[in-house]
Amino acid sequence: MNILKKALLYALPAMLLATTSCDFLDKEPENSVPENSVDFTNLDNMYMPVSGVYAKLRTGGMHWVIWPLSIIRDDDVWSGRVDDQATLVDMGNYNYDNSFWGLNEMWNQYYGMIKVANAALESLDSYAENIKSDADMKNYYTYCGEVRFLRAYAYYRLVQGFGAVTILRSNSQTDMTRSTIDAVNRYMLEDLEYGYTNMPLIRPNESNHFGAVTAYSAMALAAKVYLNMGNYAKVKELTDKIISSKKFELYDDYYNLFKIPGKLCNESLFECQCTDFGNGSGDMVDADQWFVFQGPANNGNISGWGFIGLYKEFRDWAAARGEGIRATTSFLLAGSTTPSGDVIRPLQNPTQTDCWNGKAYTPSHQLTEGRTKYGSNNNVRILRYADVLLMNAEACLEVGGDAVTPFNLVRTRAGMPTLSTVTIDNILDERRMELCCEWGERYNDLIRRGKAASTLKGWDASKTYYPIPFEQSSNIPSLANEPKDE
Amino acid sequence: MKKRILSVLLDLAGVARARAAPKTVIGVVLDQSNQPVIGASVQVNGTTTGAVTDFDGNYELKNVPDNAVITFSYIGMKTKEVKATDTTINVTLEDDLQKLDEVVVIGYGAAKAKDLTSPITVVKGEELLSVPATSPMAAMQGKVAGVNVVNSGTPGSGPRVSIRGTGSFTNSSPLYVVDGMFYDDINFLNNSDIQEMSVLKDASAAAIYGVRAANGVVIITTKKGKRNQNAKITYNGYVGVQSATNVLKMANSQQYATMLLEANYDAYVSTMKASIDRYGGSYADADFHNWTYGANTDWYNELLRKAVITNHSLGISGGSEKAVYSLGVSYLYQDGIMDADNNYKRMNFRAAVDYDATSWLKVGFNGVFSNSTQILPNNSAWKEAFNAPSIYPVYDENNVEATPEKFASPASVGFTSNFYNPVATAQYNNSRNENYQVLSNFYAQFNILPEKLNFKTSYSYDYTGTRGRTYIKPYYVSSWQQKSVSELTKSTTNYYNYIWDNTLTYNDRFGDHKVGAMLGYSMRQQQYRYMWGKASNVPEGKDEYLYLSQGDADGVTLGDDGYCYRGQSYFARLNYDYAGKYLLMFTMRADGSSKYQEKWGSFPSVGASWVMSQESFMQDQKVLDYLKLRASWGRLGNDHVAASDGFASISTGNSASGVFGNTTIPGFQNTSYFSYLKWELVDETNVGVNFSTLNNRLNVDLDWYYRMTKRAVISPRLPFSNDVLAGNYGEILNTGFDISANWSDRIGNDFKYSIGLNLSFLKNEVKDLGGTAYVKGGKTINMVGEEMNSFYGFKVVGVYQNDAECAADPVAVANGLVPGDFKYEDVNKDGVIDGNDRQTLGAYIPNLTYGLNFGLSWKNLDFELTTYGQAGAQMYNRKRALRYSQSNFNFDEAQYTNRWTGEGSTNEHPSAAALVKGWNVSDQKVNSYFVESADYFRIQNITLAYNFRNIKMGNYTLPGIRVSVTADRPFTTFKANAFTPELSDAEGWDVEVYPLTSTYTLGVQIDF
Repeated sequence: MNILKKALLYALPAMLLATTSCDFLDKEPENSVPENSVDFTNLDNMYMPVSGVYAKLRTGGMHWVIWPLSIIRDDDVWSGRVDDQATLVDMGNYNYDNSFWGLNEMWNQYYGMIKVANAALESLDSYAENIKSDADMKNYYTYCGEVRFLRAYAYYRLVQGFGAVTILRSNSQTDMTRSTIDAVNRYMLEDLEYGYTNMPLIRPNESNHFGAVTAYSAMALAAKVYLNMGNYAKVKELTDKIISSKKFELYDDYYNLFKIPGKLCNESLFECQCTDFGNGSGDMVDADQWFVFQGPANNGNISGWGFIGLYKEFRDWAAARGEGIRATTSFLLAGSTTPSGDVIRPLQNPTQTDCWNGKAYTPSHQLTEGRTKYGSNNNVRILRYADVLLMNAEACLEVGGDAVTPFNLVRTRAGMPTLSTVTIDNILDERRMELCCEWGERYNDLIRRGKAASTLKGWDASKTYYPIPFEQSSNIPSLANEPKDE
Repeated sequence: MKKRILSVLLDLAGVARARAAPKTVIGVVLDQSNQPVIGASVQVNGTTTGAVTDFDGNYELKNVPDNAVITFSYIGMKTKEVKATDTTINVTLEDDLQKLDEVVVIGYGAAKAKDLTSPITVVKGEELLSVPATSPMAAMQGKVAGVNVVNSGTPGSGPRVSIRGTGSFTNSSPLYVVDGMFYDDINFLNNSDIQEMSVLKDASAAAIYGVRAANGVVIITTKKGKRNQNAKITYNGYVGVQSATNVLKMANSQQYATMLLEANYDAYVSTMKASIDRYGGSYADADFHNWTYGANTDWYNELLRKAVITNHSLGISGGSEKAVYSLGVSYLYQDGIMDADNNYKRMNFRAAVDYDATSWLKVGFNGVFSNSTQILPNNSAWKEAFNAPSIYPVYDENNVEATPEKFASPASVGFTSNFYNPVATAQYNNSRNENYQVLSNFYAQFNILPEKLNFKTSYSYDYTGTRGRTYIKPYYVSSWQQKSVSELTKSTTNYYNYIWDNTLTYNDRFGDHKVGAMLGYSMRQQQYRYMWGKASNVPEGKDEYLYLSQGDADGVTLGDDGYCYRGQSYFARLNYDYAGKYLLMFTMRADGSSKYQEKWGSFPSVGASWVMSQESFMQDQKVLDYLKLRASWGRLGNDHVAASDGFASISTGNSASGVFGNTTIPGFQNTSYFSYLKWELVDETNVGVNFSTLNNRLNVDLDWYYRMTKRAVISPRLPFSNDVLAGNYGEILNTGFDISANWSDRIGNDFKYSIGLNLSFLKNEVKDLGGTAYVKGGKTINMVGEEMNSFYGFKVVGVYQNDAECAADPVAVANGLVPGDFKYEDVNKDGVIDGNDRQTLGAYIPNLTYGLNFGLSWKNLDFELTTYGQAGAQMYNRKRALRYSQSNFNFDEAQYTNRWTGEGSTNEHPSAAALVKGWNVSDQKVNSYFVESADYFRIQNITLAYNFRNIKMGNYTLPGIRVSVTADRPFTTFKANAFTPELSDAEGWDVEVYPLTSTYTLGVQIDF
């Protein structure tokens, strides 16, 4: 027994030491791939960071509160409800409140997209180090073009909302001094020029990655930047290229253009895509509440939060113009039956809007059987060929060229009589109708054409942009610096 | 029956070897009032010979050597040693009011209370029995100074516990060590499973648990048998009813309508008229204040019910000379107070055996097996009930689309998707969890030098498995409260952890010098795995159909996750004791953890105490019967901190993948915000004194502590982002006093009483934030010099009373304010209210917690009253503040009653119109109107019991029956407009919508 005791006395501590090897504590975390172990030699995965930026466009760029902030500053559209999110009514009347939560959300979501894009470009560069074939190299340029397009898009929206904003050249940047609008525009154009130089000359619906942006998407967005800068020659040059490619055409059915049949049709230059995978149940990958937010106050599945109202004055203006299909499509009226047979109940609360954004309406018969969410499986339209035609017409008026043809293409599709001569005001009116409720085009037109003060009640030049969100300005001192021209 | 069980165990133990047998000693053990002491231990020193007194106090010891010394001991009484000169020895044991000889479980060992150098509070299992709580920690509330227990209302879920303040931004719950196994909570234990709990409050005691110990340690010992004791069988049970108390009074239809119509008549009148048109009432009166409403639903009343709770436990324990055993089984059933199918059932089994295999080897096992089923309530119904106005009914036969039940839809009065029918939410729910938990511990102890040197190796294993199933059948209430096809969700969660502890313990004595040493090594692993799946269109009818594979093959979604952490530690403790007067203790733990980049850390501690009353100069005084001074210092770690923060690992899955056509292309996002975190460190100094006075009747423990958390993990917001990135930046100081005083006395022989008071004063302060002046989180702010997690915003100094006052104030003019709006303090007096006028408005940290306990017993009757309260804490009424997001949510009645209605009506409360205005109610412009006092006082428990003793039943004498009635949490008072000031949110945002419950029970304990 003594021997046994002695053996134990020595054996046990020895056993302990044996198990005390350092390896025991070297343990990788479960269920996560460390960043530095992404296999950048596997070029089959090179599209992954790009796909991640598109995801960020959907999850961040389509936050529902960004939507009203983008479109309620003209005289055609308002928040739609006074009994909920009443601040949005004030914001639409140019009583800006820098502590409104939505402004901060808009700021953060677009910068979030920029950060994901910056990181994706770094990942693509890491893949590039392992590229051996020309085909892969071509993909690399295309993919960089897509990411840089999406990054430019985020800056475009930031400038539209806030004016001078910070250029985030690196995700670890600490000096947040803003850049002038012109500097940010130049920065965007660099990305977009890279984009239309390196991406293929095809329609988004021709891409291997169905619906991914192409050279023409970049040209269209660049044209919009130049339009804001007043550089009509570049607008004409870029829009001419898109038109002369003969790849794009207006979708015949304006009503269905915004519905399931019109998803990524030949008119589309850029959409935020969503899907229910064609299944009546299970996952949906969608833009969260973007559609539901602007669904009408109604019973049944064709209903939502009841926001986004189109003013009666605007509807009357459209009626006076003799608008047909564009009015039917854009105005989702309380107490009506839609062309698709959905019944919208009469208005119950007279303080709410009696007309919602019909462009966000997906008829119940187009929903996948089993889905009940308003707008499910539909895409958010962002850039389309009609805008390109109207920009081209406007540029032609400014720098010479045939403005009438592109202008009348848009009118004809909408069932409106053609005009033989066109003025800037004709074009602005046409844009007002054609692009109503689409990303604040009307407000942007009034600002860039200097018509805001005379058109918008209560507006003055100091109201051009939203204030920097209180949360940002109070915590980041460098935002108070004078914007720099770089 | 009893004898048979005992003999079986004795056989197991290998019947004692015969010894030389000079004589047999018998006698009786009595207490001060000459009542027999049942179950007292009688032990011949230096041998394994012993006995336990029977219900008449008698004992019999065989084989007692000449001149042996016999020790008589019993819990709560002073131990007595008597020389065995006679063959009959009767002793009287005296009450031990100081409890100095009680053995206290400390980390990796045990010590007598008198030898401690640090404040350790012991709570006995018996003290928990009278409290009808499903979790043992809930029963601790108010019992220990410095331990703050915040109860949760949900059945089956445990309370939030913090010891000595909040020192971490991440997690403040203590470490629970159950028979050697580490836990984050002990909700699986039944109160009757517990022998005792030791609360290690200061760093010098807890440092032996190193990196896990920063928030304090609670050591739980499950029940064990006693040597040389006949089988003791005990039944314990209660049955009771729970009912909701302090239910917040919500506005009725008329009050709700008045608020909104006063706020904005045009915006809301159509809603009210829609309700009247559809559900009755009248808007004939020109003054809307006089309108009547047919629908007036008290949603809480519709959701609440009285619910039963019952608990039965049966235990048997005993021991021979060589073995002790304890077995138990318990059953708990609790109905939820929501009037829907929801309850909690738990069956616990436990067993513990310790056996002296040879003179040098002792082995043992103990295990707890717990099996519980929770039928879960849909707790979102409470929130919906809180928000739902009463202007629509529960049922509406005219809701034609509603199926299967004709529930009323909020759409019927024009509401949109933030409004629900809460009763439908409660009913259309079918969710259950089955939980299995096994805690097992095996050990072997080698006595290398008997009584001096031993080696113990102990392996603890815990398995916890949960199978969850939620099955929702199709239903329709409104377009946003519906399920078009059935949906089945299933999940499997497994935790499996082990700890292997090895300790070498040495104790010796050289004259007046007593030394002790312990060396240890421990390794552990914690693993977690989680898998879930969801499918649609699973056929209804029978439970047997409920498998994911029965649903639509398309659209099945799955998830899978897990973690694995490992740790290993070396630790040591040295004790030195000179003549019972001077005590010294050093501990040291080196902890390694796989979780962190910096893998190893060291956690030393030192403690000393001086028993002054043992000194000769104290012998002549009569004032103090006992006096001990203590001082200690120690360092602890907190590894509840995540290992790293940010996105160094890439995010993948659908949320990081773009949609292309009808599918997604796998994507990743790798915005690299990243920081490696280190564990937090806590340095604590504790100075304390214990004394007894007035003939030992008053015992006082007083401790002062200075507790600094270093490298505290705080999470500043990243620029241009909603995200925060944690880093080790802060220093947080908690200082305070814990005082506990107990007075016990007896009047005559039959009447005993005791009064206990425990007080805990706490001051919390952020000392440093890595150079920055403040860190703003989502809800609260941390500023150097202020309490951590303080509310931050404008201070309301009044309400504008009339137009003249508004016109005269540039702030009111600039912001378009009208009478009834708040007036804020212009801190910098610049005539503008902006971000610079914000100030801290309090924090959810109580500066004082107190418990007053009172007990008395007269003959066979005893009575106990415990209370608990806190003061100095503030909470943020987020439920009211949420009106910024939805202005027509229901109001609580106080908002209606107190509202500003015209000049002079109130200078504190806003008008109805002000409540729907961003100036007064906004998520960014926090103001002091929403900050309310979280002070409360509660009668925690009242128990009245009668003990029947020695009941003759034919030949058999039943030792005791105890019948008791208990009112648990019968009374709570607080000022806040809330359901309870006990919040689940550590930062003090009140979003609680679950009513408090009181429980009234009838209990029986039978000793066989």
